[in-house]
Amino acid sequence: MGKKTIDIRNALREAIDEEMTRDDTVFILGEEVAEYNGAYKVTKGMLDKWGDKRVIDTPISENGFAGLAIGAAMTGLRPIVEFMSFNFSFVAFDQLVSNACKTHYMSGGRFKVPIVFRGPNGAAAQVSCQHSHCVEALYGNLPGFIIIAPSNAYDAKGLLKAAIRNDNPVIFLENELDYGKSMEIPDSEYVLEIGQGRVVKEGTDLTLISYSRMMQHCEEVVKHMASKGVSVELIDLRTVKPLDIPLILHSVKKTGRAVVVEEGHLFAGVASEVGFQIAEHAFDYLDAPVKRVCQMETPLPYSSVLEAETIPNPKRIIRAIEEII
Amino acid sequence: MTKKQEFIHSDTAKLRDSLGKEKLFDALRRMLLIRNFEVRAESAYQQGKIGGFFHAYIGQEAIQTAAVDAIGQDNWFITTYRCHALALLTGATPKEIMAELYGKAAGNAKGRGGSMHLYTDRLLGGFGIVGGHLPVATGAAFSLKYQGNKDSIAICFLGDGAVPQGAVHESLNLASLWDLPCIYVIENNQWGMGTASTRAVAAHPIGESLSKAYGIDNMLLDGMDYFNCYAGFLAAFKQVKETSRPMIIEAVTERFRGHSISDPGLYRTKEALQAAMTRDPIKHLVSDLEAGKMIDDSEYEALNKAQQDIAKASMKYADESPYPDLTVLEEDVMA
Repeated sequence: MGKKTIDIRNALREAIDEEMTRDDTVFILGEEVAEYNGAYKVTKGMLDKWGDKRVIDTPISENGFAGLAIGAAMTGLRPIVEFMSFNFSFVAFDQLVSNACKTHYMSGGRFKVPIVFRGPNGAAAQVSCQHSHCVEALYGNLPGFIIIAPSNAYDAKGLLKAAIRNDNPVIFLENELDYGKSMEIPDSEYVLEIGQGRVVKEGTDLTLISYSRMMQHCEEVVKHMASKGVSVELIDLRTVKPLDIPLILHSVKKTGRAVVVEEGHLFAGVASEVGFQIAEHAFDYLDAPVKRVCQMETPLPYSSVLEAETIPNPKRIIRAIEEII
Repeated sequence: MTKKQEFIHSDTAKLRDSLGKEKLFDALRRMLLIRNFEVRAESAYQQGKIGGFFHAYIGQEAIQTAAVDAIGQDNWFITTYRCHALALLTGATPKEIMAELYGKAAGNAKGRGGSMHLYTDRLLGGFGIVGGHLPVATGAAFSLKYQGNKDSIAICFLGDGAVPQGAVHESLNLASLWDLPCIYVIENNQWGMGTASTRAVAAHPIGESLSKAYGIDNMLLDGMDYFNCYAGFLAAFKQVKETSRPMIIEAVTERFRGHSISDPGLYRTKEALQAAMTRDPIKHLVSDLEAGKMIDDSEYEALNKAQQDIAKASMKYADESPYPDLTVLEEDVMA
């Protein structure tokens, strides 16, 4: 099987393009996705290839077009909604919260909402308080959503294809700073299974759990700790919800220690959930308290030094590990 | 502030003759079914059989009945939490709706939705957030256009109270911008809960003002007059299908109950309510049919009694139906 090197941006485009080829009910809409070729160029060239019936520029009207896509999903189509930033999904919050994730249950199973909301999540480079929030803890609190947050091009492509084929509303979280991150992926088509984490590196002394962009810091920390003689097992969640709790427990039962790293805030976050489930299911195996490394409890400041400090960084992750090792 | 806009012209005698006794009798039958169903459901609520919110459509029956009669079943229907009538009109049975109100397993939405969230294969809901259903309706119209379906439209009912919501304006903008076949029906019952529409909406007449803002044709209907509504919906349906352009309809009506069952309606004088009730859409239709010698007192009584019996039977059915088995609680969260 052949391989090719691809960045996350192009991996995402391939996923969308392949699914649009496979299924003519799939279409994409959002601000600047067509004529502008995408704010981050994920949809570059797609208008030329597919035309304006299936690659649709919207006005700045998230509440309107997210809800429109939900209505389209309920009536036979499979929309992909691009949020230029997931922070703009807050303008459409009612549509996501009251309609997207509740309709299947509320309608007695009569109407499905097969839809993907995708776009960059979390902090980028100094975009300040209103453009940097991580949304997974907010949407993760709502039954009915699937939440996917890949950290590399292979996962991005395979999981986005799975998301488009899924009959549920999916929150698909990308990262602006990672769109250009490359790796080798198969030449041929593949689809990944939603809900499966991955052990990136095996280890024996401590389990380090994260996802999305924070995986890069974690990989650096794993190398650093190895040089100090500490063997860290690194898990990439890949799907935030449903959480691959068996994989996490299997690892923690082996290592007896866990640190969870989340770009988003500390209070009631994904790390809190992972940590609590470890406590619920593997308490007797723990040799130390589970530690969280999360964004501090501030809106995300503009200044580069403050930004770097409030977001989890290798220094803070190492400190957390050293506290329990 | 309020400039006079005329109701569209409709010729009751001519329409009455062309529709004929059978169809009109059936329209009256369904309006009586809605009325009797809700009156019975209110009594069940007072007995503690029904919980939660309960919003009656009493006083507004002519609008949705005429709409469904004029455009047919093969369309997408979307409405608010005041949805008992549209569910009945689009094919849900009184039994399954009453069972839903009672929270029973045999309910329309398996006891998960209640009064505000009813569905049929062509009714997308039953939406509980004021104005939040307009983008969804616009999406249903988008699907029809995407799928090349030129025979059907989406029709979305909203109250005057929804008009100040942003979702309404975003939807009208998108529908106009993208030529989507959706009729937005503003049922102006004068009150958004207890706030008069003149205290909530800046520009009146509501439909005409929105029409100018978004470049969408509009018409004003007498929501108490089945024939005026029928004529309007028929013309709108034809135009929307032909042009694939949206349409705004304002239907002027008045609800005879509070906003919900827990609202005693203290903001409205008794005299004002009594004046409105003289224009009861059911009485209006009956007198129109009497004028055409299509119904007499005994026929009306028999028809009304039959609908009462259906409503009562639905209560008995709901009462005797089992509650959902607790093991199904977590089913259907995911498709």
